[in-house]
Amino acid sequence: MESREFKLPDLGEGLTEAEIVQWLVKEGDTIELNQPIVEVETEKALVEIPSPFAGTVEKIFGDVGARVNVGATIITVQTSEDAPKTGRKEVLVGYGPDEGASKRRKDRKIGRRTEETPAEEPEQPARALATPPVRKLARDLGIDIDGVSGTGKEGRVTREDVVAAADSQKGAGEEQAEEVAEVVPLTQPAAIRAVPDQAEERIPVRAIRRSIAEKMVRSAFTIPHVAEWLQVDATELMKLRTDLQTSPEAKEMKISPLPIIVKALLAALRKHPLVNSSWDNDTNEIVVRHVYHIGIATDTERGLLVPVVKNADQLNIFELSREIARLAASARDGKIGPSDLTGSTVTITNVGSFGMESGTPIINYPEAAILAPGVIAKRPWVVDGEIVVRDVMTMALSFDHRVLDGAEAGRFLRYLGDLIEKPARLFGVL
Amino acid sequence: MPSITLAQGLNEALRYCMQRDDRVVVMGEDVGRAGGVFRVTDKLQQEFGEQRVIDTPLAESGIVGTGIGLAIYGFKPVCEMQFDGFTYPAFEQIISHLAKYRSRTMGKLPLSVVVRIPYGGGIGAVEHHSESLEAYFTHTAGLKVVTPSTPSDAFALLVEAIEDPDPVIFLEPKRRYWIREDVELPVVSNGDRRKARIVHEGTDVTILTYGPSVRTVEDAVAEATKDGVSCEVIDLRWLNPLDIETIMASVKKTGRAVVVTEASVTGSFSAELAARISEDDFLSLNAPVIRVGGYDIPYPPAKVEDLYLPDLDRVLDAVDKVLNY
Amino acid sequence: MKGYVDPSTVSTESVQVLKPDGTLVPDHGFDLDLKEEDLREIYRVMILTRKVDQESTNLQRQGELGVYTPALGQEGAQVGAAYALEPQDWIFPSYRELGFAMLRGVQPSHILHLFRGTWHGGLYDYREHRLAPYSVPIATQALHAVGFATGAKIDGANTVVIACFGDGATSEGDFHEACNFAGVWKAPVVFYCQNNGYAISVPLSKQTAAPTIAVKALGYGFPGVRVDGNDVLGCYVVTREALRRARRGEGPTLIEAVTYRRGPHSTADDATRYRTDEELKHWEALDPIARFETYLEAEGVLTAEFKDQCDSEGRDAATKLRQEIVGAGPLDPALIFEHVYTERSPILQQEFEEFMEDQEGR
Repeated sequence: MESREFKLPDLGEGLTEAEIVQWLVKEGDTIELNQPIVEVETEKALVEIPSPFAGTVEKIFGDVGARVNVGATIITVQTSEDAPKTGRKEVLVGYGPDEGASKRRKDRKIGRRTEETPAEEPEQPARALATPPVRKLARDLGIDIDGVSGTGKEGRVTREDVVAAADSQKGAGEEQAEEVAEVVPLTQPAAIRAVPDQAEERIPVRAIRRSIAEKMVRSAFTIPHVAEWLQVDATELMKLRTDLQTSPEAKEMKISPLPIIVKALLAALRKHPLVNSSWDNDTNEIVVRHVYHIGIATDTERGLLVPVVKNADQLNIFELSREIARLAASARDGKIGPSDLTGSTVTITNVGSFGMESGTPIINYPEAAILAPGVIAKRPWVVDGEIVVRDVMTMALSFDHRVLDGAEAGRFLRYLGDLIEKPARLFGVL
Repeated sequence: MPSITLAQGLNEALRYCMQRDDRVVVMGEDVGRAGGVFRVTDKLQQEFGEQRVIDTPLAESGIVGTGIGLAIYGFKPVCEMQFDGFTYPAFEQIISHLAKYRSRTMGKLPLSVVVRIPYGGGIGAVEHHSESLEAYFTHTAGLKVVTPSTPSDAFALLVEAIEDPDPVIFLEPKRRYWIREDVELPVVSNGDRRKARIVHEGTDVTILTYGPSVRTVEDAVAEATKDGVSCEVIDLRWLNPLDIETIMASVKKTGRAVVVTEASVTGSFSAELAARISEDDFLSLNAPVIRVGGYDIPYPPAKVEDLYLPDLDRVLDAVDKVLNY
Repeated sequence: MKGYVDPSTVSTESVQVLKPDGTLVPDHGFDLDLKEEDLREIYRVMILTRKVDQESTNLQRQGELGVYTPALGQEGAQVGAAYALEPQDWIFPSYRELGFAMLRGVQPSHILHLFRGTWHGGLYDYREHRLAPYSVPIATQALHAVGFATGAKIDGANTVVIACFGDGATSEGDFHEACNFAGVWKAPVVFYCQNNGYAISVPLSKQTAAPTIAVKALGYGFPGVRVDGNDVLGCYVVTREALRRARRGEGPTLIEAVTYRRGPHSTADDATRYRTDEELKHWEALDPIARFETYLEAEGVLTAEFKDQCDSEGRDAATKLRQEIVGAGPLDPALIFEHVYTERSPILQQEFEEFMEDQEGR
């Protein structure tokens, strides 16, 4: 004989409780299997519950009117019936009332685990394993990720691996000269691996170089390029530069001739607006821009970038100088964002900064013209019939021949040249 | 070698199976005397008789339900739904019974049934005749789903489906019923068509597709190749069970995946592929998996369906996007 | 008037052989070919059905089954019809056909395990008992029955199929489609409708405007017959006739057995919400077992010993059912991945392995 409990079952597919309506037996009664013992009321119905045991009623739980939860004991019976042999706990059909939050099954802590350094160097797979954000970082920094050794789990290339690879490639000589006269060596593009014994090597084209290439092709093969150039006496320009350098506003700043050239350019653009425009093939229009966003072609390790001085006409010489320097620095640091790299209305490419006299630059699509000031160097010049030594600069203008004809381009270039030769004239037009 | 259309490939497959196994019966609306509205069951009733090629009453639930009964008895019914949009009345029989009978009876009463459904658009049809409904079936455990894109695959895959002991939903790209291919019949598949078909090998991007979209992707890839982009194209064939191995090997190689379907993208099978690829090999990916499919609107009127269905340019745009991510 | 058919002219009378008072209807017109041992067997199975049915309700009230759909009051309709079947004939039940299952010798717990949540199809061997799995979606099994019967017909097999369903099912599209297919194909099938008055709480008057369910057969081109569903002999003879008709190749019959569901639709249902005590008492007085007992005792076929034997057999079956059900554990969880397909796909195999790994903690 043993005492068996009977717990209130779920009587109707998801009920959670029932109310005792009437007890049909009392403590001490002898009862039979399936004898009705109690009447309860659920959300759905009035139900008579039959006893699962035969024996003697030991104790009943719950007064009439009491609300009892599914799963609570309602009666105990002294019975000779053995408990069923089952490996699992007694099945209670239906799940009973909500007992609050569910509990964990597994005893383990979750959360980010710190990387353990592997015991041995993991084998480097043919193609680097890396998460997409790390791949993007590599692309942005101009790193070929397949060449980076991965120190992460299972040989994964981590963010740190990529940054380290980028740092180690930033060799000496990264500083771009601000003096137009200085010659700065071309830096090595990142992707070349030195393999001295081979007759040729193949450099995979990726990311920035690829997109520069695409842009160049697009420009060169849709815009009919013509270049004109003009040699000017830049002595007055250089003198102005020296004077500006002594200004208090020029403290902690190196004023190069470039911002003055930009100022002259702005004045010339106002006089010859077609130079600050764009040929729109789709709508068959020439779009003349009345804002002045000057692109300054900048050589960086990753390749040619063109940061843009927005609304250059609203900046004075010093602000221009500062802005040009800021843009150049952030371009070289790899920190420059898309908004600083787009939107130019005309571009300057300072070929003089690497010692070139002139060139035939490719227009920054979809602009109408690109100006290439060359190196300012001491050259023989004729003044009042005499040969003297002056600071001489050649300026080349490549222009879209659909927008500008040679004469108009020439007039622009001549005007610009006049302003450069006699910068005082800028006073009259600024 | 004779040239056959995709519809003929199906017709020959039915004939081939019915000749070899007298338990195979064909049933559906207009399949017997008329040979089917797409002639897929053409001349079968003349050859095998009315008891084995049955013109049923107009009742899709009835067709699948009685097909189930025949299968319990021991026959192998090939039930035809006349058009994708008319499959819906049969959904209860398909989802509640066809998919679950084997499981419910612990394998004691398996159902070797094929439900053939012409699907997809691009044929200038009226409403309800251009649906892509594969997602409902790939989502239902217990069903297998397969879709051919070529005449030879039509033959081989239909034979595979009929011989499969499990219920198979056989989706036929109706806009491709009339494409031709030189095929030596019978095409005996030794299980190799359980694997996905690599239509075109490449290294820059993996394009996954099936059914009517395979042709669209092939055309897009021809253009992409001119631009110097190397695409790997995979025709999935069996959507369930999916040849995940072939897919992942390709993704590992290219690092980029695009899925092209006619079906609208939200809740689609292509959404499932995108999720699974990124779960299975995130580290090989250079870009997210891009889905190209119909917009999330009811299939539009025929006059503007070409604006809805993914075309060459939308596929190329997606390829361009993953390449430049 | 020419060209018109009028529902008000349809007879609503039922076939009856055994009256509620336990005497035979004089000139009932049927050949009662049942011998004494047949009558005793029918009685035995009716008692067994009632006892197992009652025990099942108790087990549910004691928390051993999630739900149960009692057959109380329908033993005559079920056992009578089942007795007319030949051993090779198949039954496609809904979810209340305990009488048919008991006639076919199915172990009671094998059916009840379905309600316990052990396995959806229960645990019995369908081919061995020629009893398809219980079907929960309403009327869908009628189509399966027609397909199966057609298969048998194609084979020239001497098999008839009986499709069981209730009055509510006659509203479902699948019922209509099944009757239509069966009529057109002349399928060897018997459509056996137990009109027990209610589809859960919805009475027949809300289910159809037809004067009877039997008359619906005319729409499909075959005969219908209405029978007193609590008259076990009447149910036997009309089913026998329908089976013979089908076996002769003459096609289907729709039988409407008018009976009453004395229990609730299921143990989750409160029948007091929609029917009265009077109605219940009215039908208790028409109990199929009581009238049959009276008849058999008057005929001298039912001795006190035999009656006790049946009672005790019924009680034993109930006890055995209780032993097999109470505390029964679930099946091996791995089984839920086992019969989805003939073979698991690679993806399903992977999920199965993850599932098994996840089980190790439990």
